[in-house]
Amino acid sequence: MANAQVDETRREQAAERIPSSTSPARHLQQVSTKPESQVQIVWRNLRRNRLAMAGGIFVLLLYLTALFAPALAPQDYTAFNRGQPLKPPSSEHWFGTDRQTRDVFSRVIVGSRVSLSVGFISVTLIMLIGVTLGALSGFLGGIIDNLVMRFTDIMLAIPGFFLLITAAALFTPSLRTTMIVIGLTSWMGAARLIRGEFLRVKAQDFVLAARAIGVPNSRIIIRHLLPNTMAVIIVEATLWLSYAILLESGLAFLGLGAQPPTPSWGGMLADGRVDMQNAWWQTVFPGLAIFLTVLAFNLVGDGLRDAFDPRQRRR
Amino acid sequence: MAAGSGTYIARRILLLVPLMIGLSMVVFVIIHLSPGDPALAFASEQALDPQVLAQVRENLGLDKPLPVQYGIWLSHVARFEFGTAYTFNRKPVINLIGERVLMSVQLQALALVMAVLIAIPLGIISAKRQYSLLDNLATGGAFLGLALPDFWLALMLQLLLAVQLGWLPASTSGPGTAGLEKLSYFIMPAVVLAVPIIAIFIRFMRSSMLEVNKQDYVTTARAKGLSERAVTYRHILKNAIVPMVTVIGIQLPRLVSGAVIVETVFAWPGLGWLGYQAILQRDYPVILALSLLTGAFILVMNVVVDIVYALLDPRIRFD
Repeated sequence: MANAQVDETRREQAAERIPSSTSPARHLQQVSTKPESQVQIVWRNLRRNRLAMAGGIFVLLLYLTALFAPALAPQDYTAFNRGQPLKPPSSEHWFGTDRQTRDVFSRVIVGSRVSLSVGFISVTLIMLIGVTLGALSGFLGGIIDNLVMRFTDIMLAIPGFFLLITAAALFTPSLRTTMIVIGLTSWMGAARLIRGEFLRVKAQDFVLAARAIGVPNSRIIIRHLLPNTMAVIIVEATLWLSYAILLESGLAFLGLGAQPPTPSWGGMLADGRVDMQNAWWQTVFPGLAIFLTVLAFNLVGDGLRDAFDPRQRRR
Repeated sequence: MAAGSGTYIARRILLLVPLMIGLSMVVFVIIHLSPGDPALAFASEQALDPQVLAQVRENLGLDKPLPVQYGIWLSHVARFEFGTAYTFNRKPVINLIGERVLMSVQLQALALVMAVLIAIPLGIISAKRQYSLLDNLATGGAFLGLALPDFWLALMLQLLLAVQLGWLPASTSGPGTAGLEKLSYFIMPAVVLAVPIIAIFIRFMRSSMLEVNKQDYVTTARAKGLSERAVTYRHILKNAIVPMVTVIGIQLPRLVSGAVIVETVFAWPGLGWLGYQAILQRDYPVILALSLLTGAFILVMNVVVDIVYALLDPRIRFD
């Protein structure tokens, strides 16, 4: 049903692009001077996906919130409200106050900084390591491929979160440790995926042609293979943003993430746990923030995957 | 079963040996690269006298070069000697693990069974009635389930079912209870472990069914006049469920990882909680043993899953 609709619109748009009253020569010229770039195609597909657009707008607002957090928060996140510990949500304190009388709403706002920055930096790390190893493995093949992939297998065998908290705890918990440790323990899936994509693209004729005319390997990788795997890399990175945020808040929840007084959503949940029986707002709102953020990133990631490849080449 | 399946199985099992050695090296290096001083963890009860610390270091073999330490450790591990814990009343590590392993396995088995029983029928119905209300609810629910942080879900369940409604016990495994009362302690932690897995299973089962539905042999089965029921159960389901073996296998590391948070939140006396406490106390022998044993278990299970999959699906080539 939904597909039929999409096809219909696509046909209409295709019809619009072909001018009816012009000569064939002029038509050809138009087509050749204005080819639709992949970015345009993806954007056109993405715009039609309402859920993905909603997720995208939410993500955009989140980044803006994080950027302007100190200005948006009604109170300083460390400010005390004397004599008002554990007050329920009110017009004055939208999400109530915590045991130390601080405004929970302000802390949730400022907490977005931790989650989004950890997400961004650790995903950059994951992608740097994953793409490099996957690309080398897929392109070079042979013994290097074998060694890298077996190492990946071993890393995957150690339960991810256990590895993560071991590393986070042993290397003194902090925001920076969290970013680095998530990056160093989460690249394996990306490496496998990129390797597979490189193997697929490497087997295509244009790579053979490039080789035949003597293009050096480094140039083949950068100019031919990487651009052709970009779609997969972007989708994978978006989905990892949400997963990295889940990992970060999990670490913070166990007390192994960003340390006080820096407010993080996971840390706020851990603090609020103590008073859960009489102050539900401390555990409900920060958790809701994590949930909605992860959901929004997932919507964008799924939307991007469909937009890059409406036929869904990969299952 | 193809002709080469015997050699395939043998090769997969042989490959386990270098993987296990690699695993032991990775685990050992990660833990010993970290800046903390295990001698401090061990000696925490004594005065922080440098002489005592040096003595402790010598006794634990921490003064020797890393490769030597690794060799000594590996030779013990090969005989299943994991030494004594630095903390936990200096109990032998193997006893600490032995006392708790059953609690973790029971909880995880329950979660996995729950996930399979709920998700596979839902996935099948979703695929059979694509775009129906039930399909939309199931796929939408699965999407939400994937974004749900397990520790938050655990807290919300405790808040609702234990604190507000008082239907279920809030935490622990209910020592000294039996029967239905004992089971009530299992429900919340098992549900929290199961939710993300249910989400993954529903999505996979649904797409697997839809994929098989497109195959020519399904069209043939319909064309020769088989009832829709027979087509679904005898032709589609039989083929669609085979890849689920792999998907279930892939969830094992996730389950073990999830156990750390779930067991910590629910004060569940299993391996996940043990691991968390050991990490906080820098109890190296316990951390080493736990990472090595769970890692080895997952490596073995990977091979088992691959072999089962190869035996179930005759299309797999052994090359």
